[in-house]
Amino acid sequence: MKLIINGEEKDFDCETVSNLLNNLKLKKDIVAVELNKNIVHRENFDDTKLRDNDKLEIVTVVGGG
Amino acid sequence: MDKIKIGKFEFNSRLFIGTGKYSTMEMMEKALDASGAEVVTVALRRVNFEDSKENILNYIDQKKYTILPNTAGCYTVEDAVRITRLGRELGLPNWIKLEVMGDEKTLMPDNEGTLKATKQLVDEGFTVLAYTNDDIVACQKLEKAGAASVMPLGAPIGSGQGVLNPNNIKIILENAKVPIIVDAGVGTASDVTVAMELGADGVLLNTGVALAKDPVRMARAMKAGVEAGRDAFLAGRIPKKLYASASSPIEGIIK
Repeated sequence: MKLIINGEEKDFDCETVSNLLNNLKLKKDIVAVELNKNIVHRENFDDTKLRDNDKLEIVTVVGGG
Repeated sequence: MDKIKIGKFEFNSRLFIGTGKYSTMEMMEKALDASGAEVVTVALRRVNFEDSKENILNYIDQKKYTILPNTAGCYTVEDAVRITRLGRELGLPNWIKLEVMGDEKTLMPDNEGTLKATKQLVDEGFTVLAYTNDDIVACQKLEKAGAASVMPLGAPIGSGQGVLNPNNIKIILENAKVPIIVDAGVGTASDVTVAMELGADGVLLNTGVALAKDPVRMARAMKAGVEAGRDAFLAGRIPKKLYASASSPIEGIIK
C-alpha cells in the first residue's frame, strides 16, 4: 500500500495506524498523528484503517523557543 | 507569594525558557535547572525516522516543569491551529504559545493571522499566549480576542538586541489586564532586568541562554535578572533628576 508519510511516499504493508507505528518502531505515547488532515486520537490508533494514498503527518516534540 | 497567573496556570518563576538550540540534551537539562523556570517551551515537528529514539521528553521532567508547546514555523492560521491540536494529542497541557509568522527573513509575526488563530483556539478551549510584535493596538486586539497572555517581542527572535522599544512595552503594560510576557530578542541578564523593571509580568527566552558560551551560568544570570527586575519594579524606583542630590547630610559639616 502506498502512503504519504510526512511528505514522503512510502510502501507499507499495514492495516491500521497502530500497525504503521509499529512498523516504523515509534512509541505511541511520543507521537501525534494526522490522517488526511484529521487528527487520529491515540485511543483510535488500533481501529483507524489506512487506505492507499492516505496522507499522514506523524509529529513529536522537539526543542524550541 | 508573588505568583504569575495565566488562565488556570500559576507559577512562582517569571522566567519562561525555551529548549531549542542547545549543544546537547544534557546541557539543556542543566540550564533549565539553573534557570529556576517552571515553564519550558517546545516545538512540534515531523518525526525523524532515522533518529526517533532520542526524544526530548526524556530530558524534561514533567513533574518539575509545565511544558508549553509553540506553533513556531507556522505561517498560516490553519497550520497553527493544526499544530496546537496535535500538541493536545501528545498529552501536553491545554495551552499554546501561538506564533503565526509573517516573514521568513525577519521572523516578524503576522498580526492578522495571529488574531484569527487566537479567536479560533480560544473557542476550542485552549489557553492562548499570543506572540506578537511590540504594537500597542495589536496587543489590545489579542487581549480582546481572549488571549490569556500577550507576548510582545523585545527584539527580533534570536537577535539578542534586548528591549528595543521600552516606551511601547510600557504603554502595552499600562493598558493590559492580562499578563504581558516579553518574548524574544533578549540577549543577556540586563535585558531581562529592563523588561521586568518596566513591569512586564514575565520574560520568555531561549537563544540567549542556549547559545551563550556557558549556558548554565547564563541561565543562572537570567534567573537573577528576572528577580532583580521584578523586585526593582515592585520597590518603585526614584524619579530621574537632572541635578545631583547629596546622599550625606548637608548639616553638621565641619568648618
